[in-house]
Amino acid sequence: LRLRPVAAYVLDESRRAMDDQQKTKAELLTDITALRTRVAELEQARRNGSAGVFVPYEIKTDDGLNASLLFEHHPMAMWIYDVETLAFLAVNDAAIQQYDYSREEFLSMTIRDIRPAEELPRLLDRLESLPVGPRNVSHDWKHRTKSGALIYVDVISYAVKFGGRLAKLILANDVTERQRAEQEILRLNRELERRVDDRTAQLEAANKELEAFSYSVSHDLRAPLRHIDGFSRLLAQREAARLDETSGRYLSIISDAARRMGQLIDDLLAFSRMGRAEMRALPVDLEHLVADVHHELAPACEGRSIDWVIGMLPIVRGDAAMLRIVLTNLLSNAIKYTAPRPAAHISITASADDDAWQIAIADNGVGFDMQYAHKLFGVFQRLHRDEEFEGTGIGLATVRRIIDRHGGRVWAQGEIGAGATFFFTLAPYAQE
Amino acid sequence: MLMKKILLAEDNPFDLELTLAGLAEYRLTNEVVVARDGIEALDYLKCRGRYADRVPGSPMVVLLDLKMPKVDGLEVLRQIRHDPELHFIPIVILTSSREEQDLVESYNLGVNAYVVKPVAFDKFVDVVKQIGLFWVLTNEVPANVRIV
Repeated sequence: LRLRPVAAYVLDESRRAMDDQQKTKAELLTDITALRTRVAELEQARRNGSAGVFVPYEIKTDDGLNASLLFEHHPMAMWIYDVETLAFLAVNDAAIQQYDYSREEFLSMTIRDIRPAEELPRLLDRLESLPVGPRNVSHDWKHRTKSGALIYVDVISYAVKFGGRLAKLILANDVTERQRAEQEILRLNRELERRVDDRTAQLEAANKELEAFSYSVSHDLRAPLRHIDGFSRLLAQREAARLDETSGRYLSIISDAARRMGQLIDDLLAFSRMGRAEMRALPVDLEHLVADVHHELAPACEGRSIDWVIGMLPIVRGDAAMLRIVLTNLLSNAIKYTAPRPAAHISITASADDDAWQIAIADNGVGFDMQYAHKLFGVFQRLHRDEEFEGTGIGLATVRRIIDRHGGRVWAQGEIGAGATFFFTLAPYAQE
Repeated sequence: MLMKKILLAEDNPFDLELTLAGLAEYRLTNEVVVARDGIEALDYLKCRGRYADRVPGSPMVVLLDLKMPKVDGLEVLRQIRHDPELHFIPIVILTSSREEQDLVESYNLGVNAYVVKPVAFDKFVDVVKQIGLFWVLTNEVPANVRIV
């Protein structure tokens, strides 16, 4: 079996195709079919190991203009070198452009001369070990151009005969840009990983610091407050008979202030915990949760006339303990701010909003000025004086933090004297 | 009547005074042994140091502050629970800390109760009274345990 190298055969065939401009389309199709069959045969032969009897295709110098047209004007750098002397025998225009050498310079060099020194061992090793075969592809070669610049090339080589000599036809695909892009991507990836590591470390440090801080707030700041309140009470008890009304009032202001600060510290710590605490995403039945919270708030409703409307509520995905805090805050706010109403109305309803559930808690309480709506959810932000409604100004900030962590939104609508409605969204619980 | 003792481990003089004031409201003061750090508490329990000559026996309850110099409350708790002579003693942590890590660690070490000292004095007095009432008067210990 005489086999020709596939590509040389293709070269040959396409040369002949170009040769005969008169060929009809039908003929060309027949040629292509024959070509495909031939390629398939060759592939099969290669697979069967019969490629060992390979005989290189001979490029005859008198093949004429047509063979050299493909070679000369091919956009990929190509050359032919002598397998024995490694000297360049022919180069095309693209190679001249890619390597900056003139044709004369090329033809006076060997293929070693376009390689950096460190690539030579690999080249020689490759030349020795290269299996005898029609076609070889090898990647990631470093070549040097005349100016000394390094370029990366993928090389396809075909064994040929040229001018009676055993030679190789080389296609050198410049992949420098691709390599550079790949290396840039690798570098950027490493950079990104390093930055992520840095940020993670910073974040961990900040978290540790925050924990140490809140621990110290929790432990160390409460003790003096306890002492202020405790000893002013003891003093008031001890001197009860001797203290006039004003002195007694001063002492009780001291006590109240200490307690209030204690409450602020507790609320602030709870708020900070909401940002740090681990969150679970489990099904939460809002109907049960609202019923629970409603029940728990019964003492706050004592002596009040409140008309509750609790609609059908969905099962959502979230952290039950955190959502309980949300509902407790919003419901106790509704109770608190309807206090001046002889007949209070509070409703909790749900509606589907795109992909999420929207929960609304509406009351007919004192309401608020929409002008200050943006302040509602800030830490220590209050829209009422303490004498009107007690509070530390952390409840709604906590609500927002929890809903944020659930990936939901929270907002409010209100009007002075006409009640307020608080909305939040939560993802539905989808059974998997 | 046998004077059942409470061991109160508390380093802060003001908290100590307030706690004693709380116990006094229930006339329990004369039964309180005060340790000002973890070492003193362990010395008392193990009858060593300045307590080497005391009448042997254990208190009805130990009220333990967490943050104390030298040996802290958690370490005292750990040592009591690892001592076969002492491990049954009821221990109540009485602390300012509401930190989850302290709670978890205390329960891991086998605390009987964990109480956060309230900032408000009347509540504080109330809490101390309740602790005294329950652990000294209501709680039962095995008959073979020697109480002083």
